[in-house]
Amino acid sequence: MIQIVYHLIVLYLTLHLIWFIIREKKIWDQLSGVIVLIMFLLRLLLIK
Amino acid sequence: MKGHHFTALLLLLLAALVCYFSGQDFLNMHKEEAVYPSPHLTTKKRLSDYFPGLKNSPGDSSVYIFEGQKEGGTLLILGGTHPNEPAGFITAVLLVENIEVKQGRVIIVPRANNSGFMHSDPQEANPQRYSLGTPGGSRWFRYGSRLTNPIHQWPDPVLYINPAGQKLSGTESRNLNRSYPGRKRGYLTEKIAYGIMQLIDKEKINLAIDLHEATPEYPVINAIVFHENSAELAVIALMTLQMEGVDIRLEASPPNLRGLSHREWGDFAKTYAILLETANTSHGRLKGKPSASLIIEGKDKNYTKAAKLGRLFIPFDEDGIPLKQRVSRHLASLRALVSGLYELYPDLLIQIQNVPSPTDVEQAGIGAFLRPPK
Repeated sequence: MIQIVYHLIVLYLTLHLIWFIIREKKIWDQLSGVIVLIMFLLRLLLIK
Repeated sequence: MKGHHFTALLLLLLAALVCYFSGQDFLNMHKEEAVYPSPHLTTKKRLSDYFPGLKNSPGDSSVYIFEGQKEGGTLLILGGTHPNEPAGFITAVLLVENIEVKQGRVIIVPRANNSGFMHSDPQEANPQRYSLGTPGGSRWFRYGSRLTNPIHQWPDPVLYINPAGQKLSGTESRNLNRSYPGRKRGYLTEKIAYGIMQLIDKEKINLAIDLHEATPEYPVINAIVFHENSAELAVIALMTLQMEGVDIRLEASPPNLRGLSHREWGDFAKTYAILLETANTSHGRLKGKPSASLIIEGKDKNYTKAAKLGRLFIPFDEDGIPLKQRVSRHLASLRALVSGLYELYPDLLIQIQNVPSPTDVEQAGIGAFLRPPK
């Protein structure tokens, strides 16, 4: 159960990050978002 | 520089690429190295055959059983309780690939904590693998973590009360050697410990040996740690080893240090319980740059300096303590313990042939006794 809740939280934050990257106009801020997104994606897929 | 949808798409694509390549790298750690058992292997089982709760889980592991034609004692050898202590794991593999049992039984589990082999300690920069040369080519082996993979067991509790009732820090819930006698419905690590206890019980193990390594700055090193039921056996082994010129010490298992193999195997399974320690620089706190050669050669200038300052519990010089020497120590200790068991209890004779001699391993190297890759 706790695993599902955890996954939902990570998924929610991942989608927020993607939405932020798409809407953001400053490329450096987009890049910062992408760096964080990589960690979230790896965690979402339970790779690391 | 301004960005918008196009750059976002480009950067998301970049993120996907980085995820793909780093993901491949992480998933590589899930691959298990090949082990080529000796032709005298009787049966290969899984830990889940003893405790079905481990079936299809990352805690399941191979169990190699060698049976002699005559009845005798039964020996259990565990490697890889801590996958960042390679001498224990390699000794177990070396035995699986070489031995023939004439009398009694020998059961070997090289990857006791299989999940711990499937990741590395964060921020340690340890290599994922190290290679050993055999006459027919090079073979790789995983260098893992002391603890179960957090992907497989999460979250850690703030305070961990282990099955034996000892209070420990939360991360220790992923330490197999703090989780005995295990729990049937506990954390994955506790289930692995429970599976091993079931194996000891169902196979009627007489002597169980847990192969470890310790950092050179840790006091319990180059040691035989024994449960009080195995005190006589440990003393006989110590005398044998000292006569062979192997400097080793005895450490009694403290009765109030609970959850460890040398304590709970003896208390709960009533088997003779022994843990062996050699000196490993590659997981020490004083080491310099981590590398595969540090694992294999065991040379480190920081440790040489620490030894000169009298900070270590073992002699250490520029030559280091190579893996072949540590494996050789484990082999010598195993041989002394098996012969000691026979001296004390002649009906528990375990006759093992083709065990690589400790001197030969030290001189010719480990690879000379490993089977070539197929």
